[in-house]
Amino acid sequence: MKHYVYIQNPLEVAERKRKNLQSWILTAPAMIWLLLFFLIPYLIVIIYSFLTPDIYDIKFEFSLDAYRQVFSGAYLQPFLISFRMAFITTIACLILGYPVAYFIARAKEKTRNTLLVFIIIPFWTNLIIRIFSWRIFLAYNGVLNDILMNLHLIQQPLEIMRTDLAVALVMVYVYLPYMILPLYSVIEKIDFTLLNAAMDLGANEIKAFFKVTLPLSISGIFAGGILVFIPALGAYLITQLVGNQKSLYIGQVITYKIKNIPRNWPMASALSLVLLMIVTILLVASYLIFMHRRRRKVA
Amino acid sequence: MRLNRTKLFKSMNLSIFTLVMIFLYIPILILVIFSFNDAKIIVGWRGFTLKYYTLLFQNDAIKSAFWNTMLIASLSTLISTVLGILAALGLENKRFSGRKGLLALIYTPLVIPDILMGVSLALLFNFTRFNTGMLTVLIAHITFCLSYTVIVIQSRLEGFDYSLVEAAMDLGAKPSAIFWRIKFPLMMPGIIAAGLLAFTLSIDDFIITFFTSGRGFDTLPIYVEGTIRRGTITTINSLSTLMIGFTLLLAVSTGRIRKNLFNL
Repeated sequence: MKHYVYIQNPLEVAERKRKNLQSWILTAPAMIWLLLFFLIPYLIVIIYSFLTPDIYDIKFEFSLDAYRQVFSGAYLQPFLISFRMAFITTIACLILGYPVAYFIARAKEKTRNTLLVFIIIPFWTNLIIRIFSWRIFLAYNGVLNDILMNLHLIQQPLEIMRTDLAVALVMVYVYLPYMILPLYSVIEKIDFTLLNAAMDLGANEIKAFFKVTLPLSISGIFAGGILVFIPALGAYLITQLVGNQKSLYIGQVITYKIKNIPRNWPMASALSLVLLMIVTILLVASYLIFMHRRRRKVA
Repeated sequence: MRLNRTKLFKSMNLSIFTLVMIFLYIPILILVIFSFNDAKIIVGWRGFTLKYYTLLFQNDAIKSAFWNTMLIASLSTLISTVLGILAALGLENKRFSGRKGLLALIYTPLVIPDILMGVSLALLFNFTRFNTGMLTVLIAHITFCLSYTVIVIQSRLEGFDYSLVEAAMDLGAKPSAIFWRIKFPLMMPGIIAAGLLAFTLSIDDFIITFFTSGRGFDTLPIYVEGTIRRGTITTINSLSTLMIGFTLLLAVSTGRIRKNLFNL
């Protein structure tokens, strides 16, 4: 058995140390900024969740009331509603987004970029404006009902605004590009000669799709799913502007506890931490599932 | 049989694509059309008018919200891009001992719902008794833009061709000359992309601004939400149309600038 002894060149060590110091100096502003305004605020959320609410502010007295209420299940309903809606949105985005991503990825190289720009333009438009335009479209005396009434397809205007259907429609509308773009970037990299080989061996395009393309694009499905599910879970504006106000989503509950009087910041903090915990569990779980799949494939 | 199925598959994809396109563009189209509608509330078509565009320019609340939005967007773009450039340069060193920690700090805000950043900053400013207003909104916007600027600029540096730097060193260029004459120009497309992204994110943000702005400092999204809630929505269509036009202009012109300046 041979033993290699690596003698470090003192000049090289000094150079490495100098570079490390340089990196610390260059990254210091961003690091300090994120510590001050991203990490420390969460510590304050943790502290506030153990305090006593006040109508306008907060009392610095220890209390476990917020957690007692959370664990008694009083706030289970908003979490369940939000979960259900985020799930529906993700599935709908996948069903609509996959064919679109596939279509773009298989288009001629020159047209691909143009098609992508068409997907991204609505994404650049202000969120609140897009939600507002859906209100015009779906309102009781809005455009959709006008058209349907004039075509004599319906006798009475449909009441879509302020229903779960309206929330689902707008959520899919807003989050669809988040699903299409990661799917596209994965599908575009697939070697389509594999598909041709499968078809030469007798599979039709549908079978080849399920046996070749879909398994190869699973990482895009994961990425898109996370990018849609997580913001949909914490959505406030969409549910507030087009949703049914009798059953509140978790984003609305948290916002009301912070903004509306009587305020309840400990409750808002505890609920935020529960939401953060759920998101973390989801991310870790999907990472583990994904890694497990990959390892199995390699082995 | 096989040919038919393949054809069916392709036409299904095409039709879903077309439907999605209609779905994506109908609301925007309606908004633009109705901004010229001569009706106080949104009931049917009452004839063409430019009335609401003139009303828009007479509205002081909208004007101040517009300038607030531009001020916040410009400053947060500038600061988050500068911090992003520095951090991306520091992260280039793969052996940097703080690399993992910083990357975690940069990536986590992206995978956590926006509302949580809003809540945590609102409580921070309450805890430190910091008066909410322009400064708190600016701090919040820089915070959520920063992750994006670092990532965009860093990804540009990943594909960097170091043979150019080595060639310059062989020819005796000073480190400062190497940075300003080679590296910085090559980073420029990434910097512009990062700045553009930060700017659009900043003018688009509602929820984080909502939690950190306090009374008396409205940005456009905050103003629009308020008017929708109060039900006085006559000028919102025209305002929205102008905002859509503005973002399109921004997107097209930066695309052009990039093409002309950098041949990309």
